[in-house]
Amino acid sequence: MKIEDISKKSEQLITIKPEDLMPLPYPYDTPDADPAMRELTQDQKNRYEASLDGVLAIGIPKPETKEIEEELIRKFLSGLAKLLTKENNWTFLQPLLHSLEYCVKCQICNDSCPVYVASGKQEIYRPTYRPEILRRIINKYLKKQSTLSLKLTGSDIELNWTLIARLAELSYRCTLCRRCAQVCPLGVDNGLISHEIRKIFSQEMGIAPKELHESGTVQQLKVGSSTGITPKALGNIISFMEDEIEEKTGKKIKIPVDKEGADILLLHNAGEFMAWPENTEAFAIIFEAAGINWTLSSELVGYDAVNYGVWYDDFQFAKIALRHAEVAKALKVKKISVGECGHAHKAMMVIADRILTGDLNIPRESAIPLLADLVINNKIKLDPGRNNFPITLHDPCNMVRLMGIVEPQRQILRKICPQFREMEPHGVDNYCCGGGSGFAIIQSMNFPDWRSAISGRVKLKQVLETFQDVISPDIPKYVCAPCSNCKGQIRDLFNYYSVFEKCNIFYGGLVELIANAMVDIEKPFIEWEWH
Amino acid sequence: MAKTTLGGIEMEIDEDGFIQEPDKWNKEIAEDIAKLESAYPMTEEHWKLVNYLRDYFLKYEIAPPIRMLVKQTGLDLKKIYQLFPGGPAKGACKIAGLPKPTGCV
Repeated sequence: MKIEDISKKSEQLITIKPEDLMPLPYPYDTPDADPAMRELTQDQKNRYEASLDGVLAIGIPKPETKEIEEELIRKFLSGLAKLLTKENNWTFLQPLLHSLEYCVKCQICNDSCPVYVASGKQEIYRPTYRPEILRRIINKYLKKQSTLSLKLTGSDIELNWTLIARLAELSYRCTLCRRCAQVCPLGVDNGLISHEIRKIFSQEMGIAPKELHESGTVQQLKVGSSTGITPKALGNIISFMEDEIEEKTGKKIKIPVDKEGADILLLHNAGEFMAWPENTEAFAIIFEAAGINWTLSSELVGYDAVNYGVWYDDFQFAKIALRHAEVAKALKVKKISVGECGHAHKAMMVIADRILTGDLNIPRESAIPLLADLVINNKIKLDPGRNNFPITLHDPCNMVRLMGIVEPQRQILRKICPQFREMEPHGVDNYCCGGGSGFAIIQSMNFPDWRSAISGRVKLKQVLETFQDVISPDIPKYVCAPCSNCKGQIRDLFNYYSVFEKCNIFYGGLVELIANAMVDIEKPFIEWEWH
Repeated sequence: MAKTTLGGIEMEIDEDGFIQEPDKWNKEIAEDIAKLESAYPMTEEHWKLVNYLRDYFLKYEIAPPIRMLVKQTGLDLKKIYQLFPGGPAKGACKIAGLPKPTGCV
């Protein structure tokens, strides 16, 4: 496989065979333990650009005419040119240019990539493959280097629609976990390059996965949440959560909404309300017990911390980040605290720093250190004996590798979970759950199979290895994943491999474990049947 | 976007079989989707869940959280998977003509 093969027309550039995949530990160490990945139907292959690897994350319709195809090629080039100018890409230009110019192709980063390793080292999944294509296009079509010199240095490439359609899909085979950037001796960020490629497609060509754009950021800005929760539905769900809290704990707790001047505006990923309300309930129980002056918002966008723009589109990102800050400002809260959502941490605390100025620059924090303070300093009464089962911790890339929030969640677990054990590697060296950068929510066609069998494979291996000595289904075990996106991925990954049935491994968040240990709650808070 | 005949009329569906025009939904369409979802013939319990989802959707323009659905219909998750092998979202919601769930759910 050569770099320039990406332009050559063929039915599929690669086909991943089951025997290529990285082996898994017991009880998945037999050849038939892997479910067969679904193949696209012939009809889907006819309608969509699927010639990369036979998997579709975006599903780009095949251009109907040669003119449309040429227009798309032209737009791709103009988008690429814009990426390289300060006026159009001031936010990311410096690290992009650094990454394009400083890579010495040593390939040290390759083995750090969970997708590349799990796939049986498919050439096209190398962290260096996409950037090299981009570099060659820039040299030939923007810097106009002569074809002769490109041929002599073996760095020629032909820009055509086949290449562009494949590159679009390929930018969605990287979870933006940035493990490659971490190991690069020159600080090259190949994850960032995947992100920048996605921006060309979304911002210039209108091409992005439907789940991220149309039903993601667009829906969030229009109805209030990417889940489709309207302010009216939120009211209904909040009263349901209050009923559940009373039923589970015997406590009548009023969840504060739109409380002006509260110390904390708590922002949850709205997916929690829909799929894991026990997480948002646990936050309410803990904050009430600790006497924290907090509130939720019922304003459009103000009740959904997500900002999918951070994965693919700077414009969508900025609109949502501004809206979050405006909601907090109108409520006159002292600070925003982000719940268990990794990419919202990155969006609100790291990237939004570049656009929130003046009185919109409201203090923004992770809820994890606050929770650690409550637990470590005994502000709520806890009995670790209630969490006496084997537990391991998954580190969400955005919170941990990117932001360095490593210890607070561990301080909590060491104090309230007697059987807490680390997976290897962990902390800033962690592996992505396989659902990063929006993968966990891409549910269409055969992409969910790819993200279980390939991008989530190293995570599954880690979890199984961590629990090998207690792998029997007679022993209940818990993977703590303090991030909605990671939880969604781990749920789908565990379902794909029937992990709950075969190994009795459950997954959930961090606050659920705190609520489960609270001495004044009679019944266990964690309900294991909701796997 | 593909087209298919459901309940005797031509309907637009997405790649995973969710109908695109929830307003056109009727019982015949539901039964035709149920055939594709191994949930046919539809019993009283199937309809209990489908009607509950439908009513919630008409009121709030979204599917209810799964826990709410379980509590308010009295059907536990295991039973729901027996009735709808595709599960509450990909099975029951699809038959009830709701849009495919979106966001981090």
